[in-house]
Amino acid sequence: MGDKKDVWQGTLALMVLKTLQALGPLHGYGIARRIEQTSGDLLAVNYGTLYPALLKLEQEGYISSEWGTSDNNRKAKYYKLTRAGRKQLEKEAREWNQTTEILARFLAPGKEPA
Amino acid sequence: MRPLRALFIRLAAIFSKDRHDHEMAAELETHLQMHIEDNLRAGMTAAQARREALMKLGGVEQAKELVRERHGLPLLEVLLQDLRFGSRMLMNNPGFTAVAVLTLALGIGMNTGIFTILNGAALRLLPVPHAEQLLAVSQTFRKLNGPIQRNVRENATFFSYSEYRAYRDQNRVFIGLLAYAPFVEVTLGGAHPQKLLGSLASCNYFDVLEVPPALGRGFTDAECSAKNASSVVVLSDTVWRSAFDADPSIVGKPIVLNRTPVIVVGIAPPGFQGSEPVPSQFWAPLTLQSSLMRGQDRLGDDKQSWLGLLGRIKPGVSAKQALAGLGVIAAQIDQLDPGRITTLAIGSATLFSVPEERFALFSAGGVVLFAVGMVLLIACANVSSLLLARASGRRKEVAVRLAMGASRWRLIRQLLTESLLVALLAGILGSLISFWSAAGLMHFLQSIVSPGNWPVALNITPDLHVLAYALGLTLMTGIAFGLVPALQSSRADLTLAMKGESAESGARPRSKNFLRSSLVAAQVAACMVLLLAAGLLLRGLHRANTIDPGFRMHNVAAISFDLTGAGYNDQRAGVFQQQLLERIRALPGVDAVAQASAVPLDDNHSVTDFSIPGREGHILTEYDQVSPGFFPLLDIRIVRGRNFTEAENQTGAAVAILPESTARRLWPGQDPVGKTIVRSSTSLEVVGVAKDAQVSFLGGYGELYSYFPAGPKEQLGLRLLVSGAGANAPTAQTLSATVAGLDPELAVEVVNLAGNLEPWRTPGRIVSALSGVLSVLALLLSSIGVFGLVAYVVSRRVREIGIRMALGADKRDVMILVLRQALRPVAIGAILGIACCAALAWVISTVLPSDISGRFLYGISPLDPVSFLLVPGFLLSVAVLASYIPARRAMRVDPMVALRYE
Repeated sequence: MGDKKDVWQGTLALMVLKTLQALGPLHGYGIARRIEQTSGDLLAVNYGTLYPALLKLEQEGYISSEWGTSDNNRKAKYYKLTRAGRKQLEKEAREWNQTTEILARFLAPGKEPA
Repeated sequence: MRPLRALFIRLAAIFSKDRHDHEMAAELETHLQMHIEDNLRAGMTAAQARREALMKLGGVEQAKELVRERHGLPLLEVLLQDLRFGSRMLMNNPGFTAVAVLTLALGIGMNTGIFTILNGAALRLLPVPHAEQLLAVSQTFRKLNGPIQRNVRENATFFSYSEYRAYRDQNRVFIGLLAYAPFVEVTLGGAHPQKLLGSLASCNYFDVLEVPPALGRGFTDAECSAKNASSVVVLSDTVWRSAFDADPSIVGKPIVLNRTPVIVVGIAPPGFQGSEPVPSQFWAPLTLQSSLMRGQDRLGDDKQSWLGLLGRIKPGVSAKQALAGLGVIAAQIDQLDPGRITTLAIGSATLFSVPEERFALFSAGGVVLFAVGMVLLIACANVSSLLLARASGRRKEVAVRLAMGASRWRLIRQLLTESLLVALLAGILGSLISFWSAAGLMHFLQSIVSPGNWPVALNITPDLHVLAYALGLTLMTGIAFGLVPALQSSRADLTLAMKGESAESGARPRSKNFLRSSLVAAQVAACMVLLLAAGLLLRGLHRANTIDPGFRMHNVAAISFDLTGAGYNDQRAGVFQQQLLERIRALPGVDAVAQASAVPLDDNHSVTDFSIPGREGHILTEYDQVSPGFFPLLDIRIVRGRNFTEAENQTGAAVAILPESTARRLWPGQDPVGKTIVRSSTSLEVVGVAKDAQVSFLGGYGELYSYFPAGPKEQLGLRLLVSGAGANAPTAQTLSATVAGLDPELAVEVVNLAGNLEPWRTPGRIVSALSGVLSVLALLLSSIGVFGLVAYVVSRRVREIGIRMALGADKRDVMILVLRQALRPVAIGAILGIACCAALAWVISTVLPSDISGRFLYGISPLDPVSFLLVPGFLLSVAVLASYIPARRAMRVDPMVALRYE
């Protein structure tokens, strides 16, 4: 896995939700790929992190799953965003933006916090 | 919300595990295949593509395990697994399971039974609607300048009528505040006069309690508006059924209580007993007090403590706020009596609400629970021993599990689950036993408490408190006996155990042996404490049964009647007493008749104080007012001076007779006859000295005592002592009939004087019986413990004994060898137990007032040498016997067989 970063646990859920919002129903492999590509291959997603996170999201009712067929005619489990998931995504995205904004202000050069 | 939803799904998922595993495998497989396809598309070779994908994705099995953990609830699953395994183990060892469960169930059952009674007495709220809103209010005071003057009825924390009215009218924290005076004894008139025990109550009584009478009505405010405003009464369901045949038309009709006609206005609902442990049989308005108790005016006496208070708190007001609110009123009352400082206390409304009563009850209950807890611990030690023994048999199983990668914690959890299963079974059985033991214990207490007393009624059906107690006890038991063996056996030495090395060799068993020895030592120590306590109490009981109280008790009858309640005054009472005296004297078979205000060993002795001219301070003494016939009738010799004369008795002259010990303490080395004492500013001359007699306290506890002549002012309270031996001595019936001949409506009580000893022996008997049962149980359990230890030691050393015998040791040497090892823990335990008990006894004798310990020990020292020699001797011989039986096996060891063993 070289120098690629493992995904930070809390943010993976948000990435999954965002991915499903952007691409619609998708299987686990697709989600992993998309996250890696979006990160510019800076992140590595393996089974051990992805699937427990998917299960947790499903148990919490943010995503639902059903078996379907892939483009290559392969049986795969497709995940899609639920209405609760959409709301959760909005909420978390907002919170995340706020957090990063605050941190950005702290870390901005030359501006000491008062 | 979301985490909860997830929890439910995970709970449900436990049961669909297999299906999910398949799906998971399929999903991961798809993922892998898709990755490989992508890699192929990117131009890798098949092998390369697969290798890269596998490397990238990490371990499939680990991922599966991670997902599995998230899927269900691993903790719960493990627990279920442990439970399944545990119950299988227990079912495979039915003998072990039965013994362990039974012993523990007995301990838990007795413990919970006693707690049930305590719970019924002091924890359970009164059985009225919304009882949690009810608060019992009590007060204590001190005074900065001098002693506080209060006339105390029933309880020093009670209130006077004026205080009650102040709190009732001025408080802003209660919806209503009621007052009640418990334990009012009256005579119900009619063809068969009958004594009833009831309460006086404020007119809001049934409203504040929210218990409307089942028939008729409660009281109205108008009925309490003035003294004797209205003569009404509410009867209890029991009396209504027993005395009035449950006749509904009694409501509205008059009955006669203490010669006062009162109208029955209501019947309380069945099971309602008021706020005291002794059920009330009627309720009358407080304002009726002076009609029911003639000659007393409690309503107008601001210094009389006679009313208990219960308030129903307003919604939203906390107990703290209530206390603060009432404190303001208390401060106002204190201002009327400069220097007085009142402290209020409030507590939840139970049958025992008064703080000091609760304290006494909890201390007594605590001691009993402690004793029963010791028995339970002894039982736990036995089960621990059994588990340790069984652990040797399971060493291999444990070792295999450890070798397979189970963590030690996981093993301990597994073993503890098994112990908890045993405890749980025992707890269930014990709860069943506790229903029975609580009811039995209640019955036993009722029957053993002297029959003349009013019966106590407690609700002993189990409630949440009891269930929680039983559950807590069960869990603690499970951990108590399971933890040590679990820690011990999960520490198995893998290589040794796997090689099938027997438990009999190696270093490990030594510590196991040490553990078992410690368990036995602890058992013996606990058992010793219980046995010694039982021994002391039995000695006390024996003393109580054989004691010579110093006066005659046989063939003496005591006749008591309530002239005050029947409306007599001093003068009429004097006439009545004189007539009765003559009539009884004239009965055939009567040898002598005497009068006394207190019957010997009855509980109605009064206390007074006097001073001695020329000396500082007041001297407190118990006293009796007696006619001259008292001393000869009871065979109490006058050793110096003279008896009272008939003339002194007629006038109530200023004379006194003192017992020898009292005289000796007041005037050591001097002749007390002719000395003067001053009682309420009257000088009394000591005319005689009587032989010491334990008339007020069986066993005697060094209190001062005095006799005064009965004068014209005492006539209302005098009782009659009648002696007569032989075949034609008057029976109780004859005596009652003679009284009835003078006044048919007077309730009469005739007792045999010897019968007065019973209440004195009762507490001792209860406690001795209880401690006897407990200590026998403890002894039995400890013997089993010792037996088990010796049997174990012998079985472990068979080979060594064989070698010793082969080398020439004879049977005696072997016996001594085994016994020495077995009896060392016993001796250590015994010494510990004796030391503990001696320390306890010393604490008890210094802390407990002598009149309380005197009720159980009757003058036996808490460090009584007889008990402290006999009991350990007894315990040790039982221990030797318990070890001798299994030790005989050691003597029968055949060296040849032993050496070939294994």
